[in-house]
Amino acid sequence: MLYAQILLNGLVLGGLYACISVGFSLVWGVLNVINVLHGSFVVLGSYIAYFAYVHLGIHPFVSVVIAGALLFALGYVVQLGLINRVVGAPVLTTLVLTFGLDLLLNNGMLLAFSADYRSVQLANPLGSKVIAGLVFPLDRLVAMLLAGVLTGLLYLLLVRSKIGHAIVAVRMDREAAALMGVDVKTIYAITFGIGALMAGAAGSLLSLVFPISPLASSEYLSIAFIVCVLGGLGSIAGAIVGGLALGLIQSFGALFIGPEHGLTIAFVLLILLLIFKPTGIMGRRGYE
Amino acid sequence: MTHSTKSWLLALAGATMLLATPALANETIRIGAPLPLTGPLSPEGLKQQRGYDLWAETVNAAGGVTAGDTTYDVEIVYVDYESQTPRAVQTAERLITADDVNFLFAPFGSGAAKAASSVAERYQIPMVAATASSVEVYDQGYQYLFGTFTPNNTLTDPLARIVADSGEDISTVAIYARNDLFPLAIAKEMEKSAGDNGIEVISFDEYAIGTMDHASAMTLLMRSKPDWIFATGYINDLILIRRQMADLGIEPKALTMLAGPAYKEFIEATGDHSNNVSSAAWWHPAVAYDGEGVFGPTSDFVTAFEAKYDATPDYAEASAAAAGVVLQLAIEDAGTIEPSAVRDALAAMDVMTFYGPVHFGENGQIDSLEPPVFQIQDGATKTIYPEEIKQADMRFGGIE
Repeated sequence: MLYAQILLNGLVLGGLYACISVGFSLVWGVLNVINVLHGSFVVLGSYIAYFAYVHLGIHPFVSVVIAGALLFALGYVVQLGLINRVVGAPVLTTLVLTFGLDLLLNNGMLLAFSADYRSVQLANPLGSKVIAGLVFPLDRLVAMLLAGVLTGLLYLLLVRSKIGHAIVAVRMDREAAALMGVDVKTIYAITFGIGALMAGAAGSLLSLVFPISPLASSEYLSIAFIVCVLGGLGSIAGAIVGGLALGLIQSFGALFIGPEHGLTIAFVLLILLLIFKPTGIMGRRGYE
Repeated sequence: MTHSTKSWLLALAGATMLLATPALANETIRIGAPLPLTGPLSPEGLKQQRGYDLWAETVNAAGGVTAGDTTYDVEIVYVDYESQTPRAVQTAERLITADDVNFLFAPFGSGAAKAASSVAERYQIPMVAATASSVEVYDQGYQYLFGTFTPNNTLTDPLARIVADSGEDISTVAIYARNDLFPLAIAKEMEKSAGDNGIEVISFDEYAIGTMDHASAMTLLMRSKPDWIFATGYINDLILIRRQMADLGIEPKALTMLAGPAYKEFIEATGDHSNNVSSAAWWHPAVAYDGEGVFGPTSDFVTAFEAKYDATPDYAEASAAAAGVVLQLAIEDAGTIEPSAVRDALAAMDVMTFYGPVHFGENGQIDSLEPPVFQIQDGATKTIYPEEIKQADMRFGGIE
């Protein structure tokens, strides 16, 4: 019974981790950009959900759409106006640029919203349900399911739509895609926009789960980082597998070695994986 | 423009300047305040700054500090040490040698205050620490260091005593602590306090800084079915822990958290789950002391703070403002801003302030303050201890 509960805890947590990481993985895989802004995008999504609930009474599960749309627009503009100028440069250049942008956005949020931790308090929370002795935290589960639906939609977009095909084509071979008439710069902007959309949607869902503050952005970013490297870059399946793996590692690590070593174990496994299987669990070798 | 018109204009300008010059400008006392205004500790640094600023503004609006025949305005010289302790030490030194400050407010927390205290001691500049509680900070035999936080056990002893004497059949406690300087120190102190009061510590777990999930730790902790859960950390940790406890249906007879419930943010972020959570802090807006100094009684300080910041002051903000009040009273007692005389006045101090009674022990740490224990009852914070300011009895159960 204890193992079952720990397994459930790990899966729920892993689902949330996966939803934080999908957008980050997409941007890294397609654009070869390590987007340091990602954590702040998640936090911004949480704030949108928080203010939509406090001032307009909109449930965070609904404001996923609003946060997603706003963040898509922001991501699109940032990529088109700024990152596209250096996108062909070595990865360190884009890293420095997004790091600088993150400082701006994060400090902007600190000024606008202060460092105080906030949290969405629903008038009618779903609470939890005990089934066969196992405790199911419903808010988290629903957040996870919605994240799953979003991720599924993203997957369908990539494999079924014209834009999706263009994104995949650019990921595989930028020059060839350009020769085939794909407008690479626009595709980049759309991809970065989708990454930001997924971050904003994740943030909106997480506003029910984690305390909201600009200070949380670095934690989200490091989660996305670990998950992507664990799962393999640039694939949606990789982000899901990596997220679930990290959630389970932390849960069972807490059980066998103690709660304080959850993150340590995750990093040790990460290093081992990088030594023995640098492409991650699911991934192919990424950009060099 | 003719020459004579120019002369007229010059004369007029001169006359205006003469009229605009105040009759007597106050001299200025400069107080150096190295703070973590950016970086991970910035929320704490900004809180301290708010306390100092309120004190300085209030003093200057009231006409300044009078020492002997001279009246001074106060000016606080802030330097950001970016949450890096080594820089806090360099900064303290620079404030003394380059910025010519007369006094120092210590950097944030026990670690940085201890590191900077050696600088203050070397230059013989009185330094008041507003947020350093560890006894190790004061046990260095220094003469120029004074602190307004009592030792950590003054928070945990009353809590353990109240729980043990409640007649509620609480015999076991599970301690869950953030692996960080203050939260871990206070947890270790609770381990002692619980033992001293006959309560068995059945588990002592730590969690890492930045932990985003406590579900598994909580699941494990509940296997031993503790009567009482004592969790330490900062506000974001405690909000998350409280919510996950509710998610998992964990309902101990008593739940104590430190240091989150001291903040209004905690009640807002946890809603009904904040009910019956108990805590302790060095100060709380609910206390009522009829104080001397610029703020007068506690309620006046709270009102002034709310007027300026549109927020309720917490213990760190109050302690920072109290550090200012204490320094001011010492300067007025000494009748001079000469550092060694002010140091002697601080050592001999025995006054009542809005923050509570202030008297410093031999080591420079305050020994007159009884930190309040409080509990959130029906969405409002009620003082449980000490007796003089008690508003309600501790409730047990009702952790849902």
